[in-house]
Amino acid sequence: MLKILLPTIMLVPTIWAVPAKYLWSTTLSYSLIISLISLTWLKSSAESGWSFLSPYMATDPLSTPLLALTCWLLPLMILASQNHTAPEPISRQRTYITLLTSLQIFLIMAFSATEVIMFYIMFEATLIPTLVIITRWGNQTERLNAGTYFLFYTLAGSLPLLVALLLLQNNTGTLSLLTLQYTPSMQLSSFADKLWWAGCLLAFLVKMPLYGAHLWLPKAHVEAPIAGSMVLAAVLLKLGGYGMMRMMIMLEPLTKELSYPFIIFALWGVIMTGSICLRQTDLKSLIAYSSVSHMGLVAAGILIQTSWGFTGALILMIAHGLTSSALFCLANTNYERTHSRTMILARGLQMVLPLMTAWWFIASLANLALPPLPNLMGELMIITSLFHWSWWTIALTGGGTLITAGYSLYMFLMTQRGPLPAHIISLDPTHSREHLLMALHLLPLILLISKPELIWGWTA
Amino acid sequence: MNPYILAILLFGLGLGTTITFASSHWLLAWMGLEMNTLAIIPLMAQHHHPRAVEATTKYFLTQAAAAATLLFASITNAWLTGQWEIQQITHPLPTTMITLALALKIGLAPLHAWLPEVLQGLDLTTGLILSTWQKLAPFALILQIQPSNSTTLIILGLASTLIGGWGGLNQTQLRKILAYSSIAHLGWMILVLQFSPSITLLTLLTYLIMTSSTFLVFKLNKSTNINTLATSWAKAPALTALTPLILLSLGGLPPLTGFMPKWLILQELTKQGLAPTATLAALSALLSLYFYLRLSYAMTLTISPNSLLGTAPWRLPSTQLTYPLATSTALTICLLPLTPAISALLTP
Repeated sequence: MLKILLPTIMLVPTIWAVPAKYLWSTTLSYSLIISLISLTWLKSSAESGWSFLSPYMATDPLSTPLLALTCWLLPLMILASQNHTAPEPISRQRTYITLLTSLQIFLIMAFSATEVIMFYIMFEATLIPTLVIITRWGNQTERLNAGTYFLFYTLAGSLPLLVALLLLQNNTGTLSLLTLQYTPSMQLSSFADKLWWAGCLLAFLVKMPLYGAHLWLPKAHVEAPIAGSMVLAAVLLKLGGYGMMRMMIMLEPLTKELSYPFIIFALWGVIMTGSICLRQTDLKSLIAYSSVSHMGLVAAGILIQTSWGFTGALILMIAHGLTSSALFCLANTNYERTHSRTMILARGLQMVLPLMTAWWFIASLANLALPPLPNLMGELMIITSLFHWSWWTIALTGGGTLITAGYSLYMFLMTQRGPLPAHIISLDPTHSREHLLMALHLLPLILLISKPELIWGWTA
Repeated sequence: MNPYILAILLFGLGLGTTITFASSHWLLAWMGLEMNTLAIIPLMAQHHHPRAVEATTKYFLTQAAAAATLLFASITNAWLTGQWEIQQITHPLPTTMITLALALKIGLAPLHAWLPEVLQGLDLTTGLILSTWQKLAPFALILQIQPSNSTTLIILGLASTLIGGWGGLNQTQLRKILAYSSIAHLGWMILVLQFSPSITLLTLLTYLIMTSSTFLVFKLNKSTNINTLATSWAKAPALTALTPLILLSLGGLPPLTGFMPKWLILQELTKQGLAPTATLAALSALLSLYFYLRLSYAMTLTISPNSLLGTAPWRLPSTQLTYPLATSTALTICLLPLTPAISALLTP
């Protein structure tokens, strides 16, 4: 574990000490090496499920795919940020990469934490670098409002979580995930226990986000710079899903009765946010609402507590992380050229940037869950387990799949096909860096088709 | 100010607090508190500005009233129990009176109304002394008395956190913002007093460090309102980059130091079965966080030429010592991993 954590921490002095002309290449190559080493975590063969054990950190088949995704994302973020930070003074560029790296450190510690309070502290710690990235390096005035919504929605959910965790510690005497799964289930009957149940889950539901508490997400994703959008969509939302999956073990048997409104919100959110996507004019906003839609499905999959539900949720989290990040990078290539996120201002790009169209095509197909990509496998497992839980959900999930296909195709056709407006005939050709970025996003997604055991989780 | 006079006044301040710390007799404790008040009065009024004199007058009146109440309470206790020991207050009447007197001394809600106005009338250095040093002596007394009415303390605590949060929301003057921040933090300290005085002491010490950092940052930038703070990026860029971390530490965000007292207090409250109180106190911290966040937005996260909110002031080289600011900033940001060591140090 320290093999990855210490090099990531040491990346910070590297950033400040390396000469200016080698800054981006050095940080990119070091973070790529770290992410390649992090792939060793995927081979976990311990009997108890926990591998790479140390007193405070460990990995298990649930956290390993998320850790690999997090480590993989840092070089991608560095690759994506190189262009838009180029006009800034070198010390600001260094500060930016330091923020990304510190976010990475907190995320690694969060996903590998064995003690739930450590997970909580790191979960909260990720808020500060993300807040600074959104509000300092975002581009429009709305970014301040976005930062405030982001911080306060998350904190309003997570402060009750802290109290709930402290109550759990009083009750069971420990908050170590290694032993918490073996403690006898608690007598949970009073109204206060129901409030405790809600307190445990609320923070993660806001983070995922659940449909009723999702207002921070479109603001934050849209106003953030590309690295901020990438890390938000790919990893930070998954912190919510991961937290929920960890906490579910302790919340029995209340979940059977109390989870109904949240499942309904999640499924209704799939339909609603999908419909909102069909009417969007802002490209990043469309991708942001698409994230809410997919994560609604993940939330529903987790809340019904079946093994296919959990597996589907994990697969969908990984696949959605890669896809959503890829879509934000694609939107950013548009933004860097036209400095606008409005879709109708950058249409018919297939004429001008045909190779990028290939990436748009694959990313849009991944978003609408085309077989055999893992997006479909995750969605299918969740839909199947929801159907088993209640036949009626097929109306919502089926409709959701249809709407997802609708807006993904709409996004592709709007940006790539159709007449090319006269004002963007001369755009910069696609940089090799951008091709590399897209390849590094979509290639792992395609490769996961052949070995989905890596992201199955516990049912491996 | 004449250096001899300044030396005498600062000596008086130090002596007053030391006398209160070292005393076991109520009369001596009262004497120390009065010495503190008298020594700081000329410091507050040194600029002879009407606003400063007004602040001094208000401070004197409230502190004198508090000290008189304290004296009256200790005499009542001597009448009722026959002794003057500080730690032997058992009768509920003098205990309640002393609690309220000390609450007025430090500025706990609902006895907080003087603090923003007094702090606003002072220059930043004297304000720093008022916010940090002047809290030590009353707290030495608060930590020693065993309060009998637990509901009073919880109500004082919750009211302070809520009033400190809501009151600071509409302020643009930095000293008033810090006054309301002080009220909120004092509320947290009082919440846990009856369960674990060592956590109260830890909260007080971390609050002192964080507030000193903030005051010293404002002194270096010579700024007293939000607009002037917006020009600090040109005077001290590295410090401007660090100040959001100081402010968010005041707001209690992990992984910064300010989270440590909140975490320990919430843990103690939940152990005592006061989970709704804990949740309410935690959520009231969000109110304060809003204006700390607004300060960091104005100072660091919106940088010229995107927005220049303040008129550009004269930029003279700063004569301020950097060592105190550097130490307090480092402590404000990095102290959370040492939580077990610090709480072990402070437990008797």
